[in-house]
Amino acid sequence: MNRRRRSSKQETPKQKLRKNTTFRMNVLFFTIFLLFSSLVLRLGYLQIVKGEDYKRVIERTEEISVNTSVPRGRIYDRTGQILVGNEPKRAITYTKKQSTKTDEMLEVARGLSALIEKDPEDVTQRDKKDFWILLNKDEAYDRVSDKEKKAINSDETKSKTERQRELDSLVRDKITEADLEAMSPEEVEVLAIYREMTSGYNYSPQIIKSGDVTPEEYARVSERLHELPGVNTTTDWERVRNSELAILGQTTTPKEGLPGDDLQYYLARGYSRNDRVGKSFIEKQYESVLQGQKTIAKNITDKAGNVLETVPVQEGQPGKDLVLSIDSELQKKAEEVVSRHVLSIKNGRNSQMFDRIFFVMMDPNNGEILSMVGKQAIRNKETGKYEVYDRTFGTYQDAYEAGSTIKMATILAGYQHGGATVGQTMIDAPMHFRGTPPKRSLFNWYNSIPVNDITAITRSSNVYMWKIAIGIGGGSYVPNGPLSIDSQAIDRFRHSFASFGLGVETGIDLPDEAAGQHPSNPSSSNVLDFAIGQYDTYTTMQLAQYVSTIANGGYRVAPRVVKEIREPSPDGKKLGPIATELPAKYLNRVSNSDNQIERMKQGMYTVYYDRRGTAYSTFSDTEGYKAAGKTGTAERRYYEADRKDPWFGKPTVNVSHVGFAPYEDPEIAYAVLAPNVSSNTNSIPHPNNEIAREMTDFYFELKEQRIKSGEAGANIEGALKESEDGTVIREGEGE
Amino acid sequence: MKLNNRPSDRFDWTLAFILLLFLIVSTVAIASAQTTGQYNINFVPSQIQWYVVGAAIIAVMMYFDPEQYKKAAWIIYGGGVFLLFMLFILPEGMELVARRNNAKSWFHLPGLGSIQPAEFMKTFYIIGAARLITMHNENNLNRTPQTDLLLLAKIMGLLIVPLFFIMKQPDLGTALVFIAITAALILVSGITWKIIVPLYAGTAAFGAILIWMAVYMQDFLVKTFGFSAYQFARIYSWLDPYAYPSDEGRHLITSLNAIGSGMIGGKGFQGREVYVPEAHTDFIFAIIGEDWGFIGASLVISLYFVLIYHLTRTTLQLKDPFSTYVCTGIIAMITFHVFQNVGMTIQLLPITGIPLPLISYGGSSIMGNMLALGLVFSMKFHHRTYMFSADPEE
Repeated sequence: MNRRRRSSKQETPKQKLRKNTTFRMNVLFFTIFLLFSSLVLRLGYLQIVKGEDYKRVIERTEEISVNTSVPRGRIYDRTGQILVGNEPKRAITYTKKQSTKTDEMLEVARGLSALIEKDPEDVTQRDKKDFWILLNKDEAYDRVSDKEKKAINSDETKSKTERQRELDSLVRDKITEADLEAMSPEEVEVLAIYREMTSGYNYSPQIIKSGDVTPEEYARVSERLHELPGVNTTTDWERVRNSELAILGQTTTPKEGLPGDDLQYYLARGYSRNDRVGKSFIEKQYESVLQGQKTIAKNITDKAGNVLETVPVQEGQPGKDLVLSIDSELQKKAEEVVSRHVLSIKNGRNSQMFDRIFFVMMDPNNGEILSMVGKQAIRNKETGKYEVYDRTFGTYQDAYEAGSTIKMATILAGYQHGGATVGQTMIDAPMHFRGTPPKRSLFNWYNSIPVNDITAITRSSNVYMWKIAIGIGGGSYVPNGPLSIDSQAIDRFRHSFASFGLGVETGIDLPDEAAGQHPSNPSSSNVLDFAIGQYDTYTTMQLAQYVSTIANGGYRVAPRVVKEIREPSPDGKKLGPIATELPAKYLNRVSNSDNQIERMKQGMYTVYYDRRGTAYSTFSDTEGYKAAGKTGTAERRYYEADRKDPWFGKPTVNVSHVGFAPYEDPEIAYAVLAPNVSSNTNSIPHPNNEIAREMTDFYFELKEQRIKSGEAGANIEGALKESEDGTVIREGEGE
Repeated sequence: MKLNNRPSDRFDWTLAFILLLFLIVSTVAIASAQTTGQYNINFVPSQIQWYVVGAAIIAVMMYFDPEQYKKAAWIIYGGGVFLLFMLFILPEGMELVARRNNAKSWFHLPGLGSIQPAEFMKTFYIIGAARLITMHNENNLNRTPQTDLLLLAKIMGLLIVPLFFIMKQPDLGTALVFIAITAALILVSGITWKIIVPLYAGTAAFGAILIWMAVYMQDFLVKTFGFSAYQFARIYSWLDPYAYPSDEGRHLITSLNAIGSGMIGGKGFQGREVYVPEAHTDFIFAIIGEDWGFIGASLVISLYFVLIYHLTRTTLQLKDPFSTYVCTGIIAMITFHVFQNVGMTIQLLPITGIPLPLISYGGSSIMGNMLALGLVFSMKFHHRTYMFSADPEE
């Protein structure tokens, strides 16, 4: 019915369908138009908007850096003595190209094996199998039955490469010992060479033989280079160290290659996988300076990707040399002194928990480290005797409670936060708090003795420090009253201490520095411990920075082992011109007046020269110079060892020493830290004071000696002077 | 209406001219692709040969008129299915059957080369489907949703047979072409919007959800529907080829580098810098984009658009429903090929192995397309015959 009425509008079903079809064809055509438009839009985005990016991508993949084995930078000490250098070695290299075929490489390996001897010691069983397959391809694959091949190929859940791998491993299994035995020694030598050739990366020369290349081999290969495409005779540089100093650090060998942990880091910076890189200490920290610049070359290829020629875009440059702030002679002496003390204490009584001592000496004015030493006694399992090992890194990585050496910082914090004023006298008498045993200064067990800020340092008054702590905490001492210190006191203390470098990283130019432990939410009693250096832990380097800050009048300067960076030396003996002079890095000025710092210096002077001073016995008789310092003893418990250790948790003592000299115009600041020196708190050895004295004496002797021989200036650091033509001469400078 | 009596007037010169342009584009692009020396053959002369063969096919096709195709539709369709069936059952070891790129899609004819039956099956399917729709519409002049549903079911039945064999080869790209052809035919067959809109929207939503799930709910798909994780690689390497540099991902990256670096003007004939695998066949568009830039690539797309426009105009001129449906199927087939092939080179669609019609090198592809266009030539040529019979009878 319905339809009838519509057809009365003179439209037959056929016409209607026709009209409908036309409309729908237009819908289809419009859809097609939209689809094609999206193609053009997308093309426009790729080619017009992003075109430049893609162009750059292509260009980048074409440029390659060629490993030209530039010599790594040398390392000198502050007097110009070479500590780490390079020795040239004859080397035979092979450079693979992207288009190099296996057969070509095999042929080159055969050619080389006739010319050089190659030790096949690194060749593995697996290498031999692969090589056998390579030589007898058809036979090898025929050993796998068609059925087995089909079984592998029909497994569609695996990708093509996975299937190929499976087949290869099956082929490898079919190779017998007898097959491998049948290989002649000559073939194994070819394999040893071939193996080195394939382990390289495209366009990166791979060392086939280095070090033990005889002049004859070198000559033979050099004559026939044109017959051996990709082979080259060249110079490889081997790192040679003339110093035992551990902080110089180590480099990887080309065989080790880039360290796995940082592989991506180095690859992203254009290193090849077989590059030599610094893996510890100075070699690591100054990697970018020492490494040098490889030749960057661009390959000109034909349309099929064959390299026609390689054009250098940027020539390679050898690595820059480093001049350390370390004084070799001083360092040698310090190592000897510290080692001696480590051994004598370890072999003495009560030394169960003891094993190490640290020493740092630096220039307080610019942070240059003259000497840094860490020594550790380790028992030789075979002889049963103790031997001394290097632990230099412990000077900035191992942290311990330092004891009273930090008392100057406590008083200076007191000046800052209102716990003490300059010249303020307080009574040192045993303090009684409710519920705790009386707390005393070591020098005064029963009396009431008035002390001021200076004598508090001279005699190392604990009570003076505790009263400051209570003052900073906003309380006051009531005998037999409760001990209650504001929780903000510790934050104020730590903030002040940090401005001296205590409890924070010092900013030394060596990797992985530690800041020490700062437990949170300390109790009131812990704050008292903090004030006498028995709560937070500090590294020896921090102590040295702290005493430098006092010595130079309040400037915290970052310690550093590298003094300057120089252009590569022309002959390996003379220093090259300065490339970068590294200026002293001042981190902050402490919030104390010059007068307040001067008071502390005076206090430290009395420690050495006042009869009541704690280091009077060791320092009162200094000849030719006056110094100032502070001793420290921290009582603690031994937690470093394993829980099963019988000494775990037992009481022990750390001793420390900080100081500077000469008193009037400081040239050196030094710190000694010897943890766990005795298990008997009534019988404590004092290597801290002895080492400090021996080293200051030696420093001034050395200085005297150098002035006499005209070798160095009045200041020991003035050893090197620039001459007009950029090379270096040593210059005497009379006082 | 003026009658076209002379054969030369009835011949579709415009379409022939468009095909000549494609021949030029194809040979130049293939010549430009041959820079790597990967194959030792020059593909240009053989591509011209295929075009000559294609012209012969068109001539033969023009000899018969649409009425004859319509009558023989079931035989043609059945023959195509038979070929696919043979390919399916014949064991792989036989000389006659060739497996390439991991798909059993080829007959190897000694002395003649290889042919891919699926390329021709597309056209055969179009003829069959056109006949089916024509007959259905003639028998059901009074359309109701029920008759429309019946038509839909018939079309689906016709589709499912070849689709099954092609999926078994497996050849996802060609299977998608069949689906695209069917979608266009359903649209034009007159089935009510009430069915079409939910059907298309539902399919689109289903596809989108599947892709979304492949990215975010992989475990669910693996556990519930038994997908294998490696099947998602195609999706991942499409969405983020830099993070999934599988074979396909790398292929896409090289293609993008080639096309992108072509910028506006391109690098000129054989100026390519990026090595793109299969540059003379499936990835020929990457060559066009790199060597002739945005301008050249857009011109090629426009040339396809002109072809589609011409075919659409022809379709609208043809009053006969059978011819209309055949043309629609051919339009859909060419459109999908172009959109899919170009789309995959520019990261608009995932990579599937289907050629760019009339430009990619390949005998089966050229012959298959010429077969389809031969039908159009034939319909145009014999159009006069239907002037009267197609007119309204009432």
